[in-house]
Amino acid sequence: MRHKIIREIALSVIAAGGADNIIRALVEATARGTEAKGCSLLTIGEDGKRMIPRVSCGIDQDLLRGGQILADDALKQVLKGNPLFVWDVAGDPRITHKEVLEREGIASIVFLPFRDKQQVQGIMRLFFAQSMSFDREDLEFLESIAELGGSILRSAENQERLERDAEQARRDLARIRDERRHFLSFLSMVTHDLKSPLVAVQGYLKLLLRKSTDCLDERMVKGIHRSIERMDGMMELISDLLELSRLESGQIVTEFKTIAWEEVLGAAVEMAHELASLQGITVATEIHRPLPEVFASDIRLQQLILNLVSNSVRHTPRGGRITIRARRENDAVTVDIEDSGTGIDPGHLPHVFEEFFKGDPESLEGTGLGLSICKRIIDMHHGTIEVTSPVPETGTGTLVSFSIPIGVTCRVEDRYMLEEGAGTGTPGVDNITGTA
Amino acid sequence: MNKRILLADDDPDVVEVVSMLLEDEGYEIITAKDGGEALEKIEAESPDLVILDLLMPRVDGFAVINTLHEPRFERWAGTPLIVLTSVREEVSRRRYELETGKQMDYAAYLEKPADPDELLETVASFF
Repeated sequence: MRHKIIREIALSVIAAGGADNIIRALVEATARGTEAKGCSLLTIGEDGKRMIPRVSCGIDQDLLRGGQILADDALKQVLKGNPLFVWDVAGDPRITHKEVLEREGIASIVFLPFRDKQQVQGIMRLFFAQSMSFDREDLEFLESIAELGGSILRSAENQERLERDAEQARRDLARIRDERRHFLSFLSMVTHDLKSPLVAVQGYLKLLLRKSTDCLDERMVKGIHRSIERMDGMMELISDLLELSRLESGQIVTEFKTIAWEEVLGAAVEMAHELASLQGITVATEIHRPLPEVFASDIRLQQLILNLVSNSVRHTPRGGRITIRARRENDAVTVDIEDSGTGIDPGHLPHVFEEFFKGDPESLEGTGLGLSICKRIIDMHHGTIEVTSPVPETGTGTLVSFSIPIGVTCRVEDRYMLEEGAGTGTPGVDNITGTA
Repeated sequence: MNKRILLADDDPDVVEVVSMLLEDEGYEIITAKDGGEALEKIEAESPDLVILDLLMPRVDGFAVINTLHEPRFERWAGTPLIVLTSVREEVSRRRYELETGKQMDYAAYLEKPADPDELLETVASFF
């Protein structure tokens, strides 16, 4: 019972007082209580062989000189978990360095293993000036004290390891943040620098077309128009690549907030109308209100819908039709983009979300990254996306259906990025992009 | 008298292209290759309109817009400012807001590569 009580008290004190202080108090108190001349605690070094002096009191530091000590026979026995009583230092063959002990006037030593349930953590030595005799109860009590010491050492070790791990994790996190920030600002610089020459060259070409078409033949003019288009394609590709990298690095989570689905759809539908009407395509909507609010990025959801609509526009002939449907389904909002277009080759269906995949590799339109971007946006929102072609009901066209859960909860790593984005105040640096 | 336009852009080719385009229409062009020069020239030359790039070395366009709100630039508060940049509008607005806590203030926003007709129409709309 004594053991249990002391243990309970000590363990709760460790948390408040720090293991080193408690160990020191324990060693000193034991020395005083037993009227020992001195007391010391050795703990086992990392190699498991050497002993490291940890705490001592009442004895000359000479006894501890030399730092680490190789376990002699006496210590080895105690390390096995058994206490050892050396009543007569001078006559006991297990004791080495007798001269030092004699000089200190030490006649007998009690060795107690500091152990917890699993293993011996260290050895406490009580040095006495005379031959001591302890009754059985006293010895058991001393063993209990030592055992308690072992528990304390163990918990201190655990604590230290936890702190080391936590410190390491903090350093890793800081490094990853730094790397990410560098990567994003590098990306934005690269993008800007890649686009700038194109902007300049395109500027001259457009100017040329305005001023001097009279002295150019028709093929030449067509060629210049083509150059401008190719440069547009290149800029689109650069923007898409940047966009993909930004999505990949989780940066867009900084844009997450509570948004109303109806507003997202309203804006997206308006842009879809503009996009489609240029190509003589009508846009119909079937939006089942009310739609809930969601924790998401409104910019990205609009971008997602618009990317899908622009795909549909590209593959739907004039006079065709695009239908945007939205409805709540259980705990998610499902949005359909259906077109009356040419549909997707069944062989291509499994590949449409792959990067740089184009149904027609010869086509100069699009970058082949649009659906990869869509997929990333879906993933950021923990949603699902599905492509069906031809649409079963009509036997033609393509139906893309995606679903975003309402109760989207921020994952821990997302939340960290969210906090980081809010904290640094400089997410704008990496924002040169032109895609939508 | 010809309308005078200050054009601030660090890319000499953009400056050249836009200058050629606007000079053909009879505008007089003053150029600046960064935000610091742009502010100096606004004070010294009092242009009728400013076309401003955002990403420039040393003092960028965001800083120019912010500085124009200072009392010493009150005289030029009415000068229309067209942003001409490769940065998307909503991205610029968000960045400006994060950095200054204020709404970004400009008369028009054009994304590079801008269409010459669109640029001319936008400029003309202020005169």
